[in-house]
Amino acid sequence: MIGRFLRQTLVVARRDFVAIVFTPTFLIFLLAPLLMLGFGAIGGAGAARLAEGSVDRNRVVVIADAATGPRVTAADAGLRTVFRSEEAPPALEIRAPDADPLRQARALFDAGDIEVSAVLAGPIETPQILHGPRGDRSAAYLRQLAERVVLGERAGADGQIVTATLTEVQRSGATSSSRQAAGFFAVFAIFLVTLLLASQAVGMLAEERGNKVIEVLAAAVPLEAVFLGKLLGLFGVAILFIGFWGALGAQGIMLLPPELAVASALQPAIGLPMFALLFIVYFIMAFLILSAIFLGVGAQASTMREIQMLSLPITMLQLGMFALSAAAAGNPGAPIARVAELFPLSSPFAMAARAANDASLWPHLLAIAWQLLWVMIVIWLGARLFRVGVLKSGGGLSLPFRRKKPVAEPSS
Amino acid sequence: MGDRLALHAAGLVKSFGGRRAVDGVDLSVPSNMIYGVLGPNGAGKTTTLRMLLGIIDPDQGDRTVLGCQQPRDAGDRIGYLPEERGLYPAMKAREAIAFMGALRGLPWQLGRSRGAEMMEAAGLGHVVDEKIRKLSKGMAQLVQLLGSLVHQPDLLVLDEPFSGLDPVNQERLEKIVFAERDRGATVLFSTHVMAHAQRLCDRLAIINRGRRRFEGTVDDARSTLPMRAHLVPRDPDGVQTLLPPDAVEAAGGGFDFTVPPEGIEPVLARVIEGGHGVAGLSVERPSLHDAFVSIVGQDGREMHR
Repeated sequence: MIGRFLRQTLVVARRDFVAIVFTPTFLIFLLAPLLMLGFGAIGGAGAARLAEGSVDRNRVVVIADAATGPRVTAADAGLRTVFRSEEAPPALEIRAPDADPLRQARALFDAGDIEVSAVLAGPIETPQILHGPRGDRSAAYLRQLAERVVLGERAGADGQIVTATLTEVQRSGATSSSRQAAGFFAVFAIFLVTLLLASQAVGMLAEERGNKVIEVLAAAVPLEAVFLGKLLGLFGVAILFIGFWGALGAQGIMLLPPELAVASALQPAIGLPMFALLFIVYFIMAFLILSAIFLGVGAQASTMREIQMLSLPITMLQLGMFALSAAAAGNPGAPIARVAELFPLSSPFAMAARAANDASLWPHLLAIAWQLLWVMIVIWLGARLFRVGVLKSGGGLSLPFRRKKPVAEPSS
Repeated sequence: MGDRLALHAAGLVKSFGGRRAVDGVDLSVPSNMIYGVLGPNGAGKTTTLRMLLGIIDPDQGDRTVLGCQQPRDAGDRIGYLPEERGLYPAMKAREAIAFMGALRGLPWQLGRSRGAEMMEAAGLGHVVDEKIRKLSKGMAQLVQLLGSLVHQPDLLVLDEPFSGLDPVNQERLEKIVFAERDRGATVLFSTHVMAHAQRLCDRLAIINRGRRRFEGTVDDARSTLPMRAHLVPRDPDGVQTLLPPDAVEAAGGGFDFTVPPEGIEPVLARVIEGGHGVAGLSVERPSLHDAFVSIVGQDGREMHR
């Protein structure tokens, strides 16, 4: 009985796998992440260009005479080494003072060619610093700049106050931030892949219903086998997808110079090989749980319009699980992390994040057992829902795979 | 096969939304026969077949299919062509047949090779590797029929198999049905086209309004109505008084009437003794169509009474 059920499941899975993979549209689906990255890059480049345009015209201005100006410029060059480029204050501009430097400073805020966020005017030891509504940080920078100029003057000819020796030291273990980065990466990657793959299950039955094949299937095999077969077929597609991008990503990382290698930024507490293994296991759990729900819910729809309408709450549910798990990744050990780790729909995501933040292995064994239990419950419920939805012939839940014994044949 | 009855159902009941689609149907289908389930549209034929196949469960009643109380336990020995035909349009014809066979336990490779052979035999050899979407409706329907046969089932269930087929394909289908019975299979099919039923059925059941109204052979069904006679007397004047009361004058001076229960001979004797002579006489058995209309019509009259 089990053997026949398995065989029927595999027949449906094989059909679905072949029907999805051996089509030109699958190529588009396979390259979807590339398209997403492409669109993201285009959007990012556009936004960066807009931001750059605004930054280019941003200025802090020092109104200083010919003697002070070069010293200010030199101090500015030294101070800027402290900042990353995206955090650096606006570019410095030196202006020669006129008869009324304060009036000159105020007038600069109305200049059309540049956007002034702060202006320093007057003697360098007792300067007046004017700033716009959002220029308080620029004003603070100008104050630091003035102090550095003054301290430099007092220090003597070379302007050095402190002579320091800088030595780079390599860390032996992962930092908290690199662990959290690995946690976020895991949550986001599982979310992205399940978003791409599991939500496909919603529309899986549309073809059968449209072509009236469902009755042929229902007459030949138990609907539970159809359900599991579809899940398995889609799972095969998911593995192909992950395998393709995993192999491509691994090759890409190997080609990168060591200082740019992504893996070096991800330092999960549990170790990279175990983290990779758990990532795969949790992806499988997330995929099976969510796909089973989506397939069961999708079976209730009878038109494409209904399927589209069902897709929205399902996507919202996925986003909710992502948000919960991302919060767990950012707050390891917090109550919200525990909730996310225990709630069946978010557990695979949150536990992947935990693998990044915590080196213990036993919680994962428990979590996998817990998730497996839920996979079975959800698949069983999904299959029941599927049967009721597909044939509208439900009538209460009964134990799965229940069969009455054959009886003696009647005589004519 | 060994089963004396391929299929047995007792008191099947199924309601949808408070309406009884099937209301206590009993069926006994002997093995190795062509058995027809006849009925007008909406009679409950398809629902009955779906219950017999285990696609839906009855609200009440029992069914035994090929010795199994759960039809699915005999699933690999059953072939089914549903009323609403359905195939994957992107599949090649031979693959579609192999897929349907694989669902019933036939290895893919064997299904492919058998599918090609069966298509060749059915005159579809030229479209073996065509996708379903490129086939005509009739061709696709035949492919689906072959898919339901490819695993050589012991019981073949066909729901309205002739609908949508042209006369050539209807004849092909009839040959296939006879060939399946000759192979040893039991064929159960539903139809509301009496001509097919009369040619094909060894036994039949007539279902109307969710209930079985008749069960027996085609001859049994035709025998539910008396025979009709057409008499042409040499001298028609006054002959009508000697004929049964329902006699009506037909064209050419003849009279049509129902043969009374005592037979045609007493009528002939009265006509000849009355000196009217007999120029021609024909006695016809009623067709299955007449019997069907009578049984279903009677049912309607009882409903309105």
